[in-house]
Amino acid sequence: MQGGVALKSPEEVNRAVEAYADMVRRICLVHLKNVHDTEDVFQNIFLKYMLYKGSFENEEHEKAWFVRVTINACTDWLRSLSRRRWLPLESALEESGIQDNGSKEVLEAVLQLPEKYRRVVYLFYYEGYSAVEIAGILGKKENTVYTWLSRAKGILREKLGGEWA
Amino acid sequence: MNRIHESMKDVKASRELKAATLQYLERQRGRRARPIWRRGLAYALVPAMCLLLLFVNGWHYMYRTPISFISMDVNPSIELEINRFGRVVAAEAYNEDAQNVLRRLSLKNKPYVQAVRSLLEDGTYGRYLKEDATLVFTIVSDNADDIWKELDSIDVGKSCDIQIYSSDSQCMEEAHLYNMSFGKYRAYLELAEYDGSVTVEQCHGMSMGEIQERIDGCRSEHEQHHGAGTDTGRGNMSQGSTGGENPGREDTEQGTDGGNPGREDTGQRTDGENPGREDTEQGTGRGNSGHGHHGGHHNR
Repeated sequence: MQGGVALKSPEEVNRAVEAYADMVRRICLVHLKNVHDTEDVFQNIFLKYMLYKGSFENEEHEKAWFVRVTINACTDWLRSLSRRRWLPLESALEESGIQDNGSKEVLEAVLQLPEKYRRVVYLFYYEGYSAVEIAGILGKKENTVYTWLSRAKGILREKLGGEWA
Repeated sequence: MNRIHESMKDVKASRELKAATLQYLERQRGRRARPIWRRGLAYALVPAMCLLLLFVNGWHYMYRTPISFISMDVNPSIELEINRFGRVVAAEAYNEDAQNVLRRLSLKNKPYVQAVRSLLEDGTYGRYLKEDATLVFTIVSDNADDIWKELDSIDVGKSCDIQIYSSDSQCMEEAHLYNMSFGKYRAYLELAEYDGSVTVEQCHGMSMGEIQERIDGCRSEHEQHHGAGTDTGRGNMSQGSTGGENPGREDTEQGTDGGNPGREDTGQRTDGENPGREDTEQGTGRGNSGHGHHGGHHNR
């Protein structure tokens, strides 16, 4: 633990933004429905980082911290009913800036999954975490993660056909 | 690479989003880098304000609670209520003359010595301080001695008779039941020791000088009747004897015998050892207007 009220230096913060902004943005996309929410949550996450008093053992540790904090921030955000805005799915997709139709189709299918499936699908297929690692990050049992993954696969296969992954 | 990875690889944080975030973080940094007492000012202030409120409350209570009382009686009867900081928290008028004086004079929150001075210097009040007048300070306080000294050292600058007494809170309460200042009431009690017929109502209409005159008159009358053995209860007037003929106020409760009219039975006593006292004292009292304490001769 670093003592006192020391904040992370601007250099550290810049580096973290460069390193993790894209990932945070994607996790936000997976969870949140529109870009305004994303901006608020985005800023909160990096603020948490700036204020974080612990230190990271290595890059992996830091990345896992970001994943966990981002997911928590997103679920917290969604939980606050007053802020919940039900925007059509298209807007999230539109804002994602994806042009390719094939990618759009896949992403749409992913975003239509229940939240817990969406999350593990993202971590597994995009970030390349193993089920064990995901279980560690989310604080769930491995078997739960396996179950979610296989159910998500089932749903996606149904929607996208056999060769979706 | 899988299709999910493929589908999301173009999802990136826009440059604007990153810039906005960095800007936001620097703003937060500026705010958080402030000393803790400014950062959490609102939170830090809550207990501080509570304490302050308690303190102010307690102080205010202490401030507005009088612990000492000075009754100033000439004819205007004024009572000054004094808090533990020596400041006047209230000035009460007990007759019309006093009302006229206090109407134009603000004594509140002044140190009491200053309040007394401004009364003495006041034109309206000064009119009562004629040469044959008697200004009587009467103190009710736990530290009456200190107040006595303070009052004693005030240069009145008038040639009237000045006397200082101390009284007690029980007398003060009784006085207020009669709507009388406790200074005048003390004088009434003294007079009543000599003249059982005098009533509070009569004293209401008399100035301190007039009451004093009657006391002095009675006293000399008394001395004529009973010789030198008088004790008026006024320390420096005591001439040695404390014989039972002239009881102080303290004795009255015990039901004194025939020769000692007490406070309780004033007015009813026409019997006993002082026959014909009533008719004689009126005459002698008037004529014998002894200014025994003239010229700042202070008595307690």
